[in-house]
Amino acid sequence: MDDRPHKAHRPAQSGAKADKKGKGKEKQKGFNEKAFAPRSGRRADQQGRRNAERDQTRLHVPLVNRTPDDLPPPVIVAVVGPPGVGKTTLLKSLVRRYTKQTLNDVKGPVTVVSGKNKRLTFIECNNDLNSMLDIGKVADLVLLMIDGSFGFEMETFEFLNILQSHGFPKVIGVLTHLDLIKKAATLKTTKKALKKRFWTEIYQGAKLFYLSGVLNGRYPDTEILNLSRFISVMKFRPLIFRNSHPYLLADRLEDLTPRELVRTSKGKCDRIVTLYGYLHGTNLRYGTKVHVPGVGDLSVKSISLLGDPCPLPDAASEKRRKLSEKKKLLVHAPMSDVGGVVYDKDAVYINVPGSFTRGNTDVPQGEGEQMVMDLQDAGTTLDDAVSRSQIRLFGSSSKPIVVDKSPDGDASDQGDDDEGETEEDEDDSDSAAGSSADDEEPEWSDEDGEEEMDDAEGQPTNTGRSAPRTVLRSLRTSFSTQAREDVAYAESDSDLGEDEDDRRVHFDDGEEADIPSGDDEDVMDEEDEEAVPHWKSNLASKAKEGFLQSRQNRKRDWTKLIYSSQLTPQQILHDDSQSTNDDKANEEDEEFFTVKSRNFLTEDDEVLDMTKEVTREEDLKEWEDEDLLDSLRKCFITGGGGEDADGHDEGYEDVEGDDFEDLEANEEHLDENGAGTSKLKPKSTGHESARAAALAAKKEALKRKFDEQYDDPEESKTDFYEEKKVEINKQLQLNRAEFEDVDAESRALVEGYRPGSYVRIELDDVPCEMIEHFDPSYPIVVGGLLPAEERFGYIQVRLKRHRWFTRVLKSNDPLILSLGWRRFQTVPIYSLDDHSIRMRMLKYTPEHMHCYATFYGPVATPNTGFCAFNSISDETPGFRVSATGVVLDVDRSVKIVKKLKLTGVPYKIFKNTAFIRDMFNTALEVAKFEGANIKTVSGIRGQIKKALSKPEGAFRATFEDKVLMSDIIFLRAWYSIQPRKFFNPITSLLLSDKSRWSGMRLTGQVRRDEGIKTPSNINSTYKPVDRTPRRFNPLKVPNKLQAALPYASKPKLMRAQKQQTYLQKRAAILEPEEKKAIALLQQIRALRKDQVTRRREKQEERKSVHRKKVEKEEAKKDEKDKEKRKEYMRIAGAKSKREAELEEGGRRKRRKT
Amino acid sequence: MAQSGPTLHYSGHQYLRHRLVLSILSGKPVKIDKIRPEDKNPGLTDYEVSLLRLLERVTNGTIIEISLTGTAILLKPGIIAGGPVTHECPLSRSIGYFLEPIIMIAPFAKKPLQLTLRGVTTDDYDLSADLIRTVTLPHLELFGVSDGLELRIKKRGSPPGGGGEVQFLCPVVKQVKTLNFVDAGKIKRIRGIAHAVRVSPQFSNRMIEACRSIVNRYIPDIYLYSDVYKGEESGKSPGYALTLLAESTTGAIHCSEAVSQPGIAPEDVALTATRALLAEIRKGGCVDQKHQSMVLLMMVLGSEDVGRCRMGEFTPRTIQFLRDVRDFFGTSFKIVPADPSDPSSRELQLSCYGTGYINTNRSLA
Repeated sequence: MDDRPHKAHRPAQSGAKADKKGKGKEKQKGFNEKAFAPRSGRRADQQGRRNAERDQTRLHVPLVNRTPDDLPPPVIVAVVGPPGVGKTTLLKSLVRRYTKQTLNDVKGPVTVVSGKNKRLTFIECNNDLNSMLDIGKVADLVLLMIDGSFGFEMETFEFLNILQSHGFPKVIGVLTHLDLIKKAATLKTTKKALKKRFWTEIYQGAKLFYLSGVLNGRYPDTEILNLSRFISVMKFRPLIFRNSHPYLLADRLEDLTPRELVRTSKGKCDRIVTLYGYLHGTNLRYGTKVHVPGVGDLSVKSISLLGDPCPLPDAASEKRRKLSEKKKLLVHAPMSDVGGVVYDKDAVYINVPGSFTRGNTDVPQGEGEQMVMDLQDAGTTLDDAVSRSQIRLFGSSSKPIVVDKSPDGDASDQGDDDEGETEEDEDDSDSAAGSSADDEEPEWSDEDGEEEMDDAEGQPTNTGRSAPRTVLRSLRTSFSTQAREDVAYAESDSDLGEDEDDRRVHFDDGEEADIPSGDDEDVMDEEDEEAVPHWKSNLASKAKEGFLQSRQNRKRDWTKLIYSSQLTPQQILHDDSQSTNDDKANEEDEEFFTVKSRNFLTEDDEVLDMTKEVTREEDLKEWEDEDLLDSLRKCFITGGGGEDADGHDEGYEDVEGDDFEDLEANEEHLDENGAGTSKLKPKSTGHESARAAALAAKKEALKRKFDEQYDDPEESKTDFYEEKKVEINKQLQLNRAEFEDVDAESRALVEGYRPGSYVRIELDDVPCEMIEHFDPSYPIVVGGLLPAEERFGYIQVRLKRHRWFTRVLKSNDPLILSLGWRRFQTVPIYSLDDHSIRMRMLKYTPEHMHCYATFYGPVATPNTGFCAFNSISDETPGFRVSATGVVLDVDRSVKIVKKLKLTGVPYKIFKNTAFIRDMFNTALEVAKFEGANIKTVSGIRGQIKKALSKPEGAFRATFEDKVLMSDIIFLRAWYSIQPRKFFNPITSLLLSDKSRWSGMRLTGQVRRDEGIKTPSNINSTYKPVDRTPRRFNPLKVPNKLQAALPYASKPKLMRAQKQQTYLQKRAAILEPEEKKAIALLQQIRALRKDQVTRRREKQEERKSVHRKKVEKEEAKKDEKDKEKRKEYMRIAGAKSKREAELEEGGRRKRRKT
Repeated sequence: MAQSGPTLHYSGHQYLRHRLVLSILSGKPVKIDKIRPEDKNPGLTDYEVSLLRLLERVTNGTIIEISLTGTAILLKPGIIAGGPVTHECPLSRSIGYFLEPIIMIAPFAKKPLQLTLRGVTTDDYDLSADLIRTVTLPHLELFGVSDGLELRIKKRGSPPGGGGEVQFLCPVVKQVKTLNFVDAGKIKRIRGIAHAVRVSPQFSNRMIEACRSIVNRYIPDIYLYSDVYKGEESGKSPGYALTLLAESTTGAIHCSEAVSQPGIAPEDVALTATRALLAEIRKGGCVDQKHQSMVLLMMVLGSEDVGRCRMGEFTPRTIQFLRDVRDFFGTSFKIVPADPSDPSSRELQLSCYGTGYINTNRSLA
């Protein structure tokens, strides 16, 4: 009965009901304005205001987003939480959700494709404070995991504070272990309480997820799906620090140090290390120093672009709305065990499950197996392959050449060749770059392997993730032909290559791309510039074809001349003028100005560093010619035809250019290069068409102008916010467009590597401990440094002690700072601004106030946030974030003063003058302080006059009043102090036990550890102060003066009267009526008194009864309470016991908030 | 404690100024040796030493080591401090020699710079005070350094005797703007200053007359000021000069100058200046030839965006500057012909990706 399908509801198609239904729906459609209309004008006004205000809160300062839109780097999603909360489970579940692969052992970052143009890098953050700091600096999104059954833990709050001081990334809370709470009501209240706390920490309405139990070692799929949806719609606002620094979260590390060196030094030599990862932030440029938190500042030896191991779906699959299933399988996690391949620091392990045989095809093969099979498939040895390739190229070149090596050397010879797959040379040692003799021995070093990987970049099938040593790449066809050409020139240009810099920029101008045959030409040109005899032989022919020459001049590659030739600036310029000199022989021209500059390269020119060019009479003589003067008219607004008066001069110049080209191009260009003429010819022949095009362009512009003014008046008058946004977008577009046509390699040289690209960074002189104690569960962040950040200086910061930190901070105590990319220990001095006059040192940080701190350390740009710790070890009880703040100022010297009071005592007093001693030791010291202000305790001010000869260090001083012998004289002075130059980077990644870093200890700690007693100064001990009471002599006013004083001022010296006065002596006798009255009053009072006492007694009786009653009730209540407590404690005990058992299993440690 | 990166090495006394400037801005120490080793007077000259002194005073924490013979210097730059500074320039060079590098670093100081320089204000070799005021500072304004940027000519001083005084006020900026200046426009006005000290005031009028005889043909918007300083303000030696500048519709400025020389009539001085201006205009570009390196430096220091500028022919100084910039900042320019369609044009378009230089010296407190 049950499984029989119910009859579906059929709405009425006609009749009254249908009409009613239809109408009802019609009504509901859209926004009912009436329903939300304000009731009154006042209300409307309020509503309007509120809306306007709400709109304003939505606005943020427009920030340039440096991350490209087309190929963004993967979003770094960090999974953070205390141990045992389920981080790994969540990570595995998420990876499973995106890639349908189960990771057994998650280590290091895991990159997956999550959408059509979105990738995610998941990383698990362990409970170490160092890891939390590093992760907090790079994570775009934090999944903050909280044990629902336990509540918040200290680390969670510490982590939130870290995030706050390093730019707050997005945070999603994830509540786990909710299945441990059995009662529904408790669950509800727990959720509510945790949510409330979470909201106060982040912001009201922050997203909090609830994950219930674990199924099959994963969280329930629906819940993970929901979470992944939230992750995918997350929008990220650029954070200022990350938007100005390049950085990379290394997902793979390799040691490239020669094995022999490691062996001979017993592993103690500095290593060459390569790190792999996706670039984030801004462009990473050459020459940037990097900081690896936990290791230190390192110099980048080379950067190379690698094929994306986890590429976004390309155009083919772009048509689909959803991600194709194939793409879904992509996961890049070199440190984990994806597909059975694990990349260790310098080895690749292939995990083969069960018994592995070649023929066994029914077992699905992972990547690792595939690799092994491929290797087995190889028919020939590597040596064979190399020799074969050599022979193949031998035919096209006069010298044997190997393909894999030659792009290096040859391409650097062929400066202006565009497509060349140039690498920056890793080894500068191969001086004979062009000669390929040394290529005969096949060097299959790692570099070569990587270069090949680059070549394979274009292939969509190659993920780049497969090991660097595999040989499945084929060279690009265009490249192979290019390479062949290169080889042909290589020998002739071999001398050229030597004196050229390796690093250089290759730009192809627009036309060069148009004219493929022009390449030969250019090569010739370069040769000419270098080899003098060649150049001279060419001179004659060049002189013949005058205009052609000037054309070639124009094609001089300035970039190359300037950046990669050894010519002096003068030579560069004069080569130029030399050729124009030849021009001049045939044609009248306008280059005379530079013509003579060569001859004028006199001694004087060499000697003076001057800005003005030397003006020469001969040059200026030219200007006596009227024609020449007139020829310049076009440069002025009055000269260039009426229609161009508004500054649009293109039309004018076009006409000029056309005329010019008409004459020459037809006659002489035909034989020169086909493409050139093909470009110029239509211009000359189709003169009318060009004019028409110009006219059309002009009309277009006018129309646009008109549209702007009349059609869309709103668009033109946008507000500041919109304007800024438009400006930013324009600039970004320009950034993209400017180097669009330049090949990737030279673009990297000019603008660096763009964020989003997968790069390999080779680092020099890396401490060997980093490799030896490498642990993939600790994140390796490579942060690029700005040039200023490499320097050291005194940094002034504004700092506030964290209110949860239990102690105040003391000046000159070591403090661990996390500032910029760095973590380091330094010794700050705290200070406060004293009336804007001086910076006054503070011994301790104020309780609830900001103060300044100054320390020595690496420079950070002002406005960078930081957080400080007294200790980063796990053992520290309580809250570890001791202070937070922001950088204010960077300087090379500081001026902080502390108060110094010098005291002295008078030993001889005249009227207003006194002799003071015990303040200084010598007359010289006194001389230094002559004229200084001094003061007594009672406030009499004075001045130091002059040193006295007799008691050494005594001086004469004058005061505004007479001082007493008992007075103490103060001199208030300011003593300037310098922070200690102490900087100790936290090298946690170099330790074998990464959480046990210990820096400089406090003096007290050292004493405690070493068992040293605190030395005590005998003068500093407290002794009972013995103050003899001071006896003041009576003031004596001379009689004469007393007599002269007015009465009010006269001293009141009269004694109190001892004898009774007359009135006092008299006895009073009462009248009978009076007596009676007094007696009556007395009686009344007695009665009243009695009444009151009786009343009080009664009240007391009542009260005692009540008290007894209350006591009884109290006792009852107590009994109940006791029962209750007993029950509670029993439950709590059971719980803690269970937990202890749990802990026993996970060996986890908890610090309850 | 690891101080800033590797020291850069250069040889020769040439291009000393911009190397010092680049070193101070980039924070990289620079070592320059072989300074006139073969000369009769080997080593640094008086004005170079004076420049080093000035740089030391404008900065804080700069260490300058000069070798015993004076043929080598090592500069370890500190931070640019700014504030009030007074400097006596030697009479061998005019204040332009000192002011030029200072203008390049002053916007990145901690405090606004108030620099008073005393010495020769106009000479044959360097930018005169007038040129700096009317041309260099507007070039700086292209990069957003404008509010409070000023050069006051308190006294003029002609070459042998000097006795001039200028005050240079420069605000500080957080970051310079990215330049996109590719439209040179057309010349819309010509301005000029003809100044004469300790000679007949008629001299300046004669120069103006001569200049007008040439440029009147081009545009009507020509104003040539006659600027005569008298008495105390006119320095210690007689002299006169004509400074000309032509401004285009888009704000590009070209300039020229000619200074009096013994035995040459003021008319001839004016003609020299005028013709030099015309030559400069013909070279084209959006930036005056004498200011190429300054504009390029500011482009390099701009935000991490592409800056573009159109320039006339390079000077040797510019070429060396481009090379040195790459050593210090790692920035290379893309240099292409500005007008690919016009073969006769020698103008170049330079574009570069700014380094995103932020003024770390500026304090928030």
